[in-house]
Amino acid sequence: MLSYILRRIVATLPVMAIVALFVFSLLYIAPGDPAVVIAGDQASPEDVERIRQGLGLDRPFLIQFGSWVWRILHGDLGTSIFTNLPVSTMIGQRLGPTLSLMIITLLLTIVIAVPLGVVAAWKAGSLIDRAIMGFAVFGFSLPVFVVGYVLAYVFALELEWLPVQGYTPLTEGLWPWLQNLILPSIALGCVYIALIARITRATMLEVLQQDYIRTARAKGLGQGGILFIHALKNAAVPIVTVIGIGIALLIGGAVVTESVFAIPGLGRLTIDAILRRDYPVIQGIVLLFSFVYVLVNLMIDVIYTLVDPRIRY
Amino acid sequence: MDRRTVLKGLAGAGGLALTGISAPALSQGASARTLRFVPQANLANFDPIWGTQYVVRNAAALVWDTLYGIDSTLTPQRQMVESEQVSDDGTIWTFKLRPGLKFHDGEPVLSKDVVASLTRWAARDPMGLMLKGLQQELTAVDDRTFKWVLKQPFPKMLYALGKNNSPCAFIMPERIAQTDPFKQIGEYVGSGPMKFAKGEWVPGAKAVFEKFADYVPRQEKASWLAGGKQILVDRVEWIVMPDAATAAAALQNGEVDWWESPIADLVPVLKKNKNISVDIGDPLGNIGSFRMNFLYPPFNDVRARRAVLMAMNQEDYMRAIVGDDNSLWKPLPGFFTPDTPLYSEMGGDILKGKRNLDAAKKLLAESGYSGQPVTCLVAQDQPITKAQGDVTADLLKQLGMNVDFVATDWGTVGSRRAAKTPPGQGGWNMFHTWHAGADCTNPAPYTAIRANGDKAWFGWPNSPATEKEVTSWFEAKNIDEEKAAIGRLNKAAMDDVVYAPTGFFLSYTAWRKNISGIAKGPLPFFWGVSKSA
Repeated sequence: MLSYILRRIVATLPVMAIVALFVFSLLYIAPGDPAVVIAGDQASPEDVERIRQGLGLDRPFLIQFGSWVWRILHGDLGTSIFTNLPVSTMIGQRLGPTLSLMIITLLLTIVIAVPLGVVAAWKAGSLIDRAIMGFAVFGFSLPVFVVGYVLAYVFALELEWLPVQGYTPLTEGLWPWLQNLILPSIALGCVYIALIARITRATMLEVLQQDYIRTARAKGLGQGGILFIHALKNAAVPIVTVIGIGIALLIGGAVVTESVFAIPGLGRLTIDAILRRDYPVIQGIVLLFSFVYVLVNLMIDVIYTLVDPRIRY
Repeated sequence: MDRRTVLKGLAGAGGLALTGISAPALSQGASARTLRFVPQANLANFDPIWGTQYVVRNAAALVWDTLYGIDSTLTPQRQMVESEQVSDDGTIWTFKLRPGLKFHDGEPVLSKDVVASLTRWAARDPMGLMLKGLQQELTAVDDRTFKWVLKQPFPKMLYALGKNNSPCAFIMPERIAQTDPFKQIGEYVGSGPMKFAKGEWVPGAKAVFEKFADYVPRQEKASWLAGGKQILVDRVEWIVMPDAATAAAALQNGEVDWWESPIADLVPVLKKNKNISVDIGDPLGNIGSFRMNFLYPPFNDVRARRAVLMAMNQEDYMRAIVGDDNSLWKPLPGFFTPDTPLYSEMGGDILKGKRNLDAAKKLLAESGYSGQPVTCLVAQDQPITKAQGDVTADLLKQLGMNVDFVATDWGTVGSRRAAKTPPGQGGWNMFHTWHAGADCTNPAPYTAIRANGDKAWFGWPNSPATEKEVTSWFEAKNIDEEKAAIGRLNKAAMDDVVYAPTGFFLSYTAWRKNISGIAKGPLPFFWGVSKSA
């Protein structure tokens, strides 16, 4: 297993290299110019050109790409064109809020969605099943920002239980940290809960038809044991897969959620960087996200072996 | 139902729900010594000479002081300077600094710092460049005295040093000011009333300023950038909120104290809340505009440009930008900011009265327009440009023009508008923008009014008559001469259609009622602002 993990980690390197080349090329040919944004509306074309030269943006593609790769190989993601701060510092500033948001959302999703899916499968065709699936359709259909605004209105403006916006680091206390994350996590998690609940139901329905489930029932095993020990474990592989894929969904959703709740996370940093054409920041974030995806896929593969002993690498 | 409708409805419901509620929200227990402010945009960099965005200037005005400051009458007043002398021939200016000025690192402000700062500023600012062109020498005479020797008189010297247009002539320590003006500084030490807390800066989210205990304010009453800059709170936190509904909710909830630029849609909601005050923020407002490319048909012919002016209705543009609130806009048959001393409507008749589409079509036909595509760049991520672009597209279609509507983002417009290639090859025929009214009070900071062809702003208008009057204004010796020059300039620019003004519009600012001392002006002034618990 260890050698498999190592092989997989090594295999990520060419993937990252391709991603790096792709992102760099894409940004190079994309319209827009950070020097224009920096110089301001009143600047002359000469000023813009001088700034472009100062930033090194006038150099040929290969030289720019080469120096960027060289820096990456030395562990340097570069410096933001706009803020003059190291990209790693900027990502570091934003990592905490986004990670917090994603972790709470994931936990919330798993805790809510998996039992909902199991219950829906168990009570397939009943009113409970239809109610759960109706909720799932509702969750799928509502855009994140609508859920966010409704939650903010009810729980922040109307009831005054939770703040409208912002982020407090965990170092300042568990409750201050949580109270800023509850509403955004619910808003972000809605689609995800709906997705996992539906997948869990579908997979469980299939598993519940299997002979070994009938045998378990015939042995007099309790319903809880059948559902959560025998059935769920065997249904876990597709559920884990979807949870993994859903992390991509979470990163995308975080962009909107962070804007609606003014959370200073990586999603907002990404949007700001794209709108300003802050190339080093965009490149740094894309590399980070690519790495996260690769890592998540690896984790999922490892989890497969834990939930299904037949899978071996 | 779109996103904007949803947020307006929800924010509205929130506003109604909160009317009459005075109980503090969760986060309102924060110290009354901290002012939480939502700026108009993200403070993405903090070098006010290198980056000339207004949000940078606004933040910089807290950290760096200027030699002179423009007051609310648009008159430059002494700020860091104690006195000045000018030779009889107007070519030698000698300035003396106030005693006791200190930088945030404890070092005294010396003439050498001023010389280095002015040198860097002059490389980037249009008026600074003019001064640089006239400069014989700029030297430090002693620690508190410096001298600027010119080849010929420059009557607008004090205005140049005190103007509020970006880039302002901010004074930095010599070691920082020696940075190449086209490269960004990395140290934010000034002598202004507040210090920049670099360690707490999260670009895109938060910027923090702390009161500078050693700042010595002037004794005069504060007025815009002039007078005593008394800071009455310990800390000012800028909290960037990309979403307007969130900012509105946070203001209603007491999580922030002051929102610089609430969008027009949400203002009625804020006005209904008894804990919130709403008023016009900047009385100098903004001038909407679109520019036509002088280099290529059809707008290389003045008749085509005038046809567009004849047909356009400024009210359509203004309503698209500000909605139904009539107090937020006025027609602008000219190029200069209304209600300022140099405002003129000379030559502006073409924009007044009932619009004559038939006459405009006839004039357009006379210009030789024969249905070629008109490439119209419209940034969709800026509500002001999007609103104007939609109106223009409709206008051009009514005129029988073939519109190539390029819906894109502001970054792309900013880049593409610099292209001088033909419209079909990456160039353009029109783009939309707007100008801060503070930049349009006179020709000095007003890049958009210049019409010196290749050297002019995008669109490259060529109007010798306009340029002649710009020079006349610079040479004017008194306000009457200035007014006369501006009247002629306005007419010439209108005749040649240097650009198309779409109207004058204002915007609101909103704050909690426990905040007092907020002054109207072209930037948010934090001096004199206090907060009660």
